[in-house]
Amino acid sequence: MRDRKFCVDIGGVDLKNPVMTASGTFGYGREFDELIDLNQLGGIIVKGLSLLPSPGNPPPRIIETPCGMLNAIGLENIGIEAFVNEKLSFLKNFSTPIFINIYGKTVDEYADLASRIDELDDVAGLEVNISCPNVKAGGIAFGVGCDAAAEVVESVRKRTSKPLMVKLSPNVTDIVEIAKSVEGAGADSISLINTITGMMIDIAKRRPVLANITGGLSGPAIKPVALRMVWQVAREVKIPVIGIGGIMNAEDAIAFLIAGATAVQVGTANFVNPRATIDIIEGIDSFMAKENLDQVGDLIGSIRI
Amino acid sequence: MKSFAQKHQKIAKVIWNKPESHADFRIGLTCSSVYENALPGQFVTLHLPGNMTPLLRRPFSIHRLIKENKHVIGIEILYKVVGGFTEKLTRAITGDPIDLLGPIGNGFTVSKKFKKIALVGGGIGIAPLVFLADAITENGVCLSDSIACLGGRTSDDILCKSVFKSFDLTIRTTTDDGSEGEQGLVTRPLEKWITSHRPDMVYACGPMPMLRAVADIANKNELPCEISIETIMACGLGACLGCAVNKNKTTGKYQHVCIDGPVFDAKTHIF
Ligand SMILES: Cc1cc2nc3c(=O)[nH]c(=O)nc-3n(C[C@H](O)[C@H](O)[C@H](O)COP(=O)(O)OP(=O)(O)OC[C@H]3O[C@@H](n4cnc5c(N)ncnc54)[C@H](O)[C@@H]3O)c2cc1C
Ligand SMILES: Cc1cc2nc3c(=O)[nH]c(=O)nc-3n(C[C@H](O)[C@H](O)[C@H](O)COP(=O)(O)O)c2cc1C
Ligand code: FES
Repeated sequence: MRDRKFCVDIGGVDLKNPVMTASGTFGYGREFDELIDLNQLGGIIVKGLSLLPSPGNPPPRIIETPCGMLNAIGLENIGIEAFVNEKLSFLKNFSTPIFINIYGKTVDEYADLASRIDELDDVAGLEVNISCPNVKAGGIAFGVGCDAAAEVVESVRKRTSKPLMVKLSPNVTDIVEIAKSVEGAGADSISLINTITGMMIDIAKRRPVLANITGGLSGPAIKPVALRMVWQVAREVKIPVIGIGGIMNAEDAIAFLIAGATAVQVGTANFVNPRATIDIIEGIDSFMAKENLDQVGDLIGSIRI
Repeated sequence: MKSFAQKHQKIAKVIWNKPESHADFRIGLTCSSVYENALPGQFVTLHLPGNMTPLLRRPFSIHRLIKENKHVIGIEILYKVVGGFTEKLTRAITGDPIDLLGPIGNGFTVSKKFKKIALVGGGIGIAPLVFLADAITENGVCLSDSIACLGGRTSDDILCKSVFKSFDLTIRTTTDDGSEGEQGLVTRPLEKWITSHRPDMVYACGPMPMLRAVADIANKNELPCEISIETIMACGLGACLGCAVNKNKTTGKYQHVCIDGPVFDAKTHIF
């Protein structure tokens, strides 16, 4: 298996295959070590990290929805220093590139995180989550405005020479506009989509189900939205695009590649089947064999319109 | 509370799946040898292969180990039909494939030092207490000085009474409607028994309000007490952080049921 050319370049990082794990759905990697061979993955993106540890939101934090789930974890994480001291030494034993997903409440926090990560040899690149509230702009997410999005990316770019993946929020009017502005600000690749904001109501109690009231929708329910956005963005930018959203199996992943994604990230599917990434890698391989394709590149952006 | 046995995921086969009462079923599933080391209180997550609705895996306590020639060949789960997944599960027949992942979480502390024990189960929370009673007696402790307080809404919810009888312990049952045993809360017979017997350990599993009441009684009487907590989960692997419950009194941090639990020390848990 895999004698065909499976590797892809996502803006300065070579992946042995185009399947990565999405931030927040794969812990810090170790959580899946008993169940799958982490060396087989194209890339691992760890849970979103902030400068200081963050306790996250009060419970309940999750609820299943039709063909998906709503989460309001509140970006609970152990903070960058604890990650470096307690988690990175395990992850560096694997040949799989590690990406750190970062978020901040201010532009300076993003920049400080980037400086710290720039020093870490065992980290292949950064993924910048711009879907979080900007404290200085009254809590409006950085990722919903071109200027704020570009400002974050520029400040991170100045502090690191590591490959920079910028993760877009789908909760915007014009995704292409945002994509172009982060490309202009120095992103090496663009990943999309993050979760779509939603809510659920318990009608017996007349209360929101989640303690945070709203949460982020993920899973198969968001796949068509994600595919549409990936297709729109991939035609308009020159840097590689990484497709995320409701990818449950190889067919879903292949659809994203055809739409123009150079690689994909698997999220909620890891919860349903911890082997999902491995099954997807094998499924892409069989599809390529069946279609007589020599390299993944033959699939990428091959949509016929 | 002991820690983890290695986790394992496999497509198990249904050994049996039969009704227990009008809303409860017991299902037997084949399992790998890692369950030789499973601890009472640990749980598994199940998924019906290929099913998108419901999407997420569902957690269930190990009710009993199924043994053949002293080797574990399967696990039994006692489940209550409450929604989409458990409804579909009732339709599984012998030989059907079910995606089984476990054993997960910590377990109850089993020790020869605990001679006099109170087991407190509310509704389907009774399920893991049978595995616990098995483990205690296999560890050489006779339960004849111990008590099982079993509570439910109606007599249908009082499960496994005959199994508990076989352990030769005192049984007290309570129901909300008085259709079985004493009418009222399961904590009433517990409190009465505690004052005259002073157990070495109280174990409880059931709905949150019951756990809170049991923990209060144990803390007030300065008795060691372990409670097993249920919450909605997405991964059961410590990856999603969705199963956070109330904070730990000492650390002030959210506790995650699938990593830090499901069994918690009643003294350190903030309700
Ligand atoms: C560690 C652990 C051990 C468990 N052990 C058992 C067991 O041995 N036997 C058993 O029958 N059940 C057990 N449960 C509960 C079981 O997981 C749920 O009943 C099941 O997930 C319901 O799925 P469903 O699709 O049938 O119902 P759903 O449609 O998902 O839910 C029906 C209703 O129950 C509520 N609910 C669902 N899951 C939970 C939960 N975990 N806690 C509180 N409310 C919930 C939902 O909000 C909804 O109102 C356990 C849960 C945990 C976390
Ligand atoms: C429980 C959970 C936690 C998440 N945490 C993060 C996070 O910390 N940072 C981030 O950028 N995205 C986070 N995400 C978003 C995912 O990485 C992904 O973009 C989204 O879930 C869509 O993909 P999916 O449908 O395959 O899950 C999280 C998603 C879930 C479900
Ligand atoms: S259920 Fe995902 S961390 Fe516990």
